[in-house]
Amino acid sequence: MSAEPRGFSRRRLIAGAGGGAVVGAAVGFAGGRAASPAQASASDALDLSTAYDFYTGDHQVGIATPPQRHLVFMSLDVVEGTTAEQLKVLFARWSAAMATMMKGDPVGSVEPSRANGVPQDTGEAYDLSPASLTLTLGLGPTLFDDRFGLAGKGPRLLEEIPRLPGDELQAELCGGDLALQACADDPQVAYHAIRGLTRIGRGLVTTRWTVLGFGRASAGKGQKTPRNLMGLKDGTRNIKTDEELDEFVWVTDPDEPAWMRGGSYLVTRKINMDIEVWDGTTVETQHATIGRDKGEGAPLSGEKEFDTPDFKAVRHGEPVIDPTSHVALAASENNGGAKILRRGYNFTDGLNSLGQLDAGLFFIAFQKDPETFVDLQRKLGRVDLLNEYIAHVGSAIFAVPRAPRSGHFLAQELFG
Amino acid sequence: MSRKAISLAALAALCVTGLAACGGENDDSKATKKGGATQVAVSMVSGSDGDACELDTDSVAAGPVTFTVKNESAAGLTEVELMDGQKILGEKENLAPGLAEATFTLTLGGGDYEIYCPGATQERVPFKVTGEAAAEPTGDAAELLASGSKDYTTYVRTQIDSMVVGVENLQKAVDSGDLAKAQQAYADARPFYEKIESDVEGFVMDGFDPTDNKGNLDYLIDMRASNLDEAVGWSGFHAVERDLFQAKKITAQTKKYAADLVTNVTKLAEVGKSLEFKPEDLANGAAALLEEVQSGKITGEEEAYSHIDLVDFANNVEGAQQAYAALRPGLEKVDAELVKTIDARFTAVTDDLEGYKDTKSLGGYRPYTAELKASDGKKLSATVQSLQDVLGRLAEKAATA
Repeated sequence: MSAEPRGFSRRRLIAGAGGGAVVGAAVGFAGGRAASPAQASASDALDLSTAYDFYTGDHQVGIATPPQRHLVFMSLDVVEGTTAEQLKVLFARWSAAMATMMKGDPVGSVEPSRANGVPQDTGEAYDLSPASLTLTLGLGPTLFDDRFGLAGKGPRLLEEIPRLPGDELQAELCGGDLALQACADDPQVAYHAIRGLTRIGRGLVTTRWTVLGFGRASAGKGQKTPRNLMGLKDGTRNIKTDEELDEFVWVTDPDEPAWMRGGSYLVTRKINMDIEVWDGTTVETQHATIGRDKGEGAPLSGEKEFDTPDFKAVRHGEPVIDPTSHVALAASENNGGAKILRRGYNFTDGLNSLGQLDAGLFFIAFQKDPETFVDLQRKLGRVDLLNEYIAHVGSAIFAVPRAPRSGHFLAQELFG
Repeated sequence: MSRKAISLAALAALCVTGLAACGGENDDSKATKKGGATQVAVSMVSGSDGDACELDTDSVAAGPVTFTVKNESAAGLTEVELMDGQKILGEKENLAPGLAEATFTLTLGGGDYEIYCPGATQERVPFKVTGEAAAEPTGDAAELLASGSKDYTTYVRTQIDSMVVGVENLQKAVDSGDLAKAQQAYADARPFYEKIESDVEGFVMDGFDPTDNKGNLDYLIDMRASNLDEAVGWSGFHAVERDLFQAKKITAQTKKYAADLVTNVTKLAEVGKSLEFKPEDLANGAAALLEEVQSGKITGEEEAYSHIDLVDFANNVEGAQQAYAALRPGLEKVDAELVKTIDARFTAVTDDLEGYKDTKSLGGYRPYTAELKASDGKKLSATVQSLQDVLGRLAEKAATA
């Protein structure tokens, strides 16, 4: 069965939060006063017909791409005994499937013409729009041990994240030989993509852990700053310009393997939030913990969200922004100018064994040198006021190769 | 109609007029020969209308033909087959841009064939072979599959006959009132059913409505707590299991369960005499046995009281292996690559199972406890799934050989 040409989808335009009918009915943050939230910018509206090109030949999508609304992230392990040749075929098939799914097309037939045929595509995304789907492949440090003939071929800076202060990591939420990140504005489109890719990989890879993310928790270029599950704007000072991406995110080191240049290092941290505890704290405590106010997201030293925080400001002899607040510790001014690209998502896994909300932030960061993250988190993990309300339970690092050109596949040179 | 389809149709129309440029009986100069085989290049390309399979020639003379397939840029295409009607004569899978070209060679008699490219804008591209028609080119594969299926029928009957003996022993042990002996007899009788359960599924006795579980032998013999039909009540293997392993008591009711089990298994043996299987039945049956492993054994649901799920697991796998083995000689001619993959995955599953063998445990495998399920269930499930995926493709191969 061939794919239908994709016309103008019925579901094409869905206004973003704050747009359309929501305006006017919403109640502002301050004391129940009616206040219209800021109008969504044009790019905050969802255009489900948007499709990204997989074969950019440059950076993989899903990094600098403005974050979509939904995430499915999966870490996988390669089955013992798999050969480099088998991995090569897998990467080629994955690449082709990724390109196809990102166009909104099924991979192979949904309904084979022979009754004895098993459908190649499971079909749950059939007729849904591309929904800005991006698929991103990451390679973990363990892929380059001596099991698959790849030892010594890995990127220079790909090493496991060391144990960091305050870590409460659970082994079953950490690591992985490979990672697949699917982001889309329709959760079913993202889910279908990961399901399809793992199906292609059966027998060669097994799933290790997965996270379903919703309500992006970081803003990209042109997007309004979203909120995390603490109700806070997250990522106000995120990397948004091409210049910053070049400076902090894309690997340029000529000593890195060719397939890694133009790529990046992906760090994930699964961060549980003590939702119930946080919900019981006063707004003053919440402000002090993060170093910003809640409604506007302005630094406590300023008035507007994008005001530059003044970490030297003092009121009644005390710093206005606590030096151990999250913002103060993470600010590039206080970290030798270092910046990372954050692209996290909120997640929930329902309830934990104690009947509490099991939810938090699936932190995703891209940087050209993983040490930037490690340094930052080493500091945050020690003294961040936020630590009282969160726990880092999962951790992983992956090298993200650059995107292939048409007719090629991801990390092809690795198998040359 | 896409641009490409129009151009192919136009080409076909021209050929009717007998223009030499179309190739065919009088002119196969367009196709080159190498080592005695006519060369045909199939390119998978991505165009503005979608993905397409393009042939450098759509007509060759009868004889050995080598197809060289290269996926240049068609991300949506992974597979190409040469079809003779519904029959797959040759194929290549796992094709993706960036990978090396793949070839397959066949000796073709004259006739109309098709190049089948699932997912292409035009999925079926006509391919003509001029000259004398060959005798059934894959008749030997079909014959081998048919004879394998016949052998398998014997295997199923033997298993059912052994099962009759097994449940009779179970009844004797139950009647003797010896709990340990009865538990052992239960574990001894189970394997026979687990090896062939997919072949006897849905057997409805004469005079019963298919929706009435009272007449469904599979239900009466193997019902579980989770699929209990209140209108029928408990019966079968698991009713005996519950008494022997949960209540750990043999009552008059237990004896009645065991006696009913013998009656129903004997009826099954009667029906089994008329069983006949087609190759695709074996293929579907093998895949269904693996599904049983996933849905009933890895979950620990099947043997909820005796915890001998790994015994069932091993026997489901063995049954699937038997069905596959019967098809294997024929399949090797149809798709040697698939046979290699399935062989390797069966080995992975049986190697995995090897680690759970325990001669001191009932049935010869470690009890599948909640702890074991928590620690090993995920790994077992993944290994079985990868085997099940490839077995799922067997039926199509068997049916189209």
